[in-house]
Amino acid sequence: MKEVMAFIRTNKVNRTKEALANAGFPAFCCRPCLGRGKKSLDATVLHYIMESGELPVSQVGEAFTETARLIPKRFFTIVIEDDQVDLAVKTIIKANQTGNPGDGKIFILPIEETYKVRTGETVL
Amino acid sequence: MLLIRAIIRPEKTGIVLSELLSAGFPAVTKMDVYGRGKQKGIVIGDVQYDEIPKEMLLVVVKEEDKEDVVKVIMRNARTGEKGNFGDGRIFISQVLDAYTISTAKQGL
Repeated sequence: MKEVMAFIRTNKVNRTKEALANAGFPAFCCRPCLGRGKKSLDATVLHYIMESGELPVSQVGEAFTETARLIPKRFFTIVIEDDQVDLAVKTIIKANQTGNPGDGKIFILPIEETYKVRTGETVL
Repeated sequence: MLLIRAIIRPEKTGIVLSELLSAGFPAVTKMDVYGRGKQKGIVIGDVQYDEIPKEMLLVVVKEEDKEDVVKVIMRNARTGEKGNFGDGRIFISQVLDAYTISTAKQGL
């Protein structure tokens, strides 16, 4: 069994839920979180440019220097069988891809055992 | 790749996040969690508080960066010289695969 952890945009949750249900993964867990990713911009260089007055201070420029800002995201987890991982990853990517940075990340983690609380069975 | 889950005091997240950034680990996810530890929460008078608010940080790093991240979190999330109960915990688990949604590329 594998756990698929996906960090996605907040406005893509409904689309992702629908796509996963259609692909045969109705069970999921979703919760809000805050996060930041890898930014290719060097904040110190931008600060230097702004302070030296070479660039007019604008809202866009200010946004660029805010590398440390956390952005609200949705954290999706589904636990599935090994052979379904590829399909699930493809489904999530297809539903969430806009091509812009900030679309999110997917991580695959191993799951050792699962239990059903209702019956005590060790099946998914 | 390894997933580092750090459960730390909410008032320490600011310093930990900025230190992680300057240590070269900008990518972090943060969420609010509630829990208790080995001390079974806090007892004040007759009341036992066992849902203590904490913040969970999730960082996925390459295996060779594990030590650095753990050190940064450990150094900055600790209270006082020796640390106190309730400073939090760090858990590390294996990550088999990672994908970036915007490019559909595999890997961190």
